[in-house]
Amino acid sequence: MSKAIIKLTYKQIIDSSSKTDFERSILSASYREFLLKSQAYNPGNVLRTFSEMKNNDGRANSLHYKLSFVIGYFIETLKNKIPVLTDTLGNSINFEVPQMELIESDITDINAHKVAINYITSDLLLLNTIGEYLVLSANNGETTFTVKMQDHLAISSYQPVGIATSNKQNVLAA
Amino acid sequence: MERKHFLRSFAIAAAATPMLLDACKKDSADTAIDSTGTTTSADTNAGSSACRVTPTEVEGPYPYPGGELKNPLDRSDITGGQTGVPLVFNLLVVNTNDNCNVVQNARVDIWHCSKDGYYSGYGNQNGKSFVGETFLRGYQTTDAKGAVTFTTVYPGWYQGRATHIHFEIFVSNVLKKTAQFAFPENISDAVHTHYGVGVNTTRNANDGILGNSATDLANETPSLTGSIAAGYTGTYTFGIAL
Repeated sequence: MSKAIIKLTYKQIIDSSSKTDFERSILSASYREFLLKSQAYNPGNVLRTFSEMKNNDGRANSLHYKLSFVIGYFIETLKNKIPVLTDTLGNSINFEVPQMELIESDITDINAHKVAINYITSDLLLLNTIGEYLVLSANNGETTFTVKMQDHLAISSYQPVGIATSNKQNVLAA
Repeated sequence: MERKHFLRSFAIAAAATPMLLDACKKDSADTAIDSTGTTTSADTNAGSSACRVTPTEVEGPYPYPGGELKNPLDRSDITGGQTGVPLVFNLLVVNTNDNCNVVQNARVDIWHCSKDGYYSGYGNQNGKSFVGETFLRGYQTTDAKGAVTFTTVYPGWYQGRATHIHFEIFVSNVLKKTAQFAFPENISDAVHTHYGVGVNTTRNANDGILGNSATDLANETPSLTGSIAAGYTGTYTFGIAL
């Protein structure tokens, strides 16, 4: 296969069933902020859920990033290591950008509060695939490691190395 | 804006002070292991009138690492590394239904764009993305005198809006006021020329949000003193009917 520059995204879903301190902290802080910030999209306090607010006023989608600010300190504690996901040797994998997503919530019930954090890696070189395993290289080939494709893990950016080069040549030729 | 654009926008800065998650764990004082290795419960106090179940409560709003009640945006200096003409706001919150007496413990949220007209926190702004940034956002809680202070830089502008700063004020966790500041145009024009971004093409009077009337516009424009060289200080009193 041809090599490709890829990014991996791992999606960690956090809801009332989550158990770790990190997850509970994210859940609690983001719910508290939801109670405050959702009021701007809930005139008269007649709506309960995030879905209702989005249907009523598309600007409620700004709650995704408005809530993300409040969890910054918790994300820092991860020191850029994706929780849960490891390579086949159990080593952690670094992320570059965390993106928060508010999946659902309810101003009357924290148990309905559900968020996701999408951990996005920096550029990785996809060297090969062996069945459901990806052989990847990072840091300009300094590190090579293997990751198993699994639920909540996706290739979120894919640039075949060869095609990118030929595109460049075409542009130059034109 | 499409949903995918929003989803791309919620990145958070992930580089700074490491903190200990352990500090937030519940302590283990409710059980103890004696010298024989038997676990005993400190809750057991049979025979005492104090023998009752302690009410269970939720774990609290902001159990931040280290135990401090600290939201990253809880800050008076919201500059966050942005450059521009210094701007300090001394703000008061008063209750117009109570002879304009001051309101304590009101949370005042502030956010505005950079000198080049960009907001932190999301992308797709003229092809630029400021995901992972929190600059020019923050909040403070009013003190016993009903006052908060913010240190920032004079905002720039972007297409379609007069120069402005956003505010939200919460009293007892209830949103009581959503407001925007307008700015004296002679000062804005001088500052924006200094920034090299040209004067704002949307004038205060033509803005679709600010100033439904000349009175409104005057009532949402803080008074500023200072200069481009020394920076500006603004004062304003938020009147809220509580």
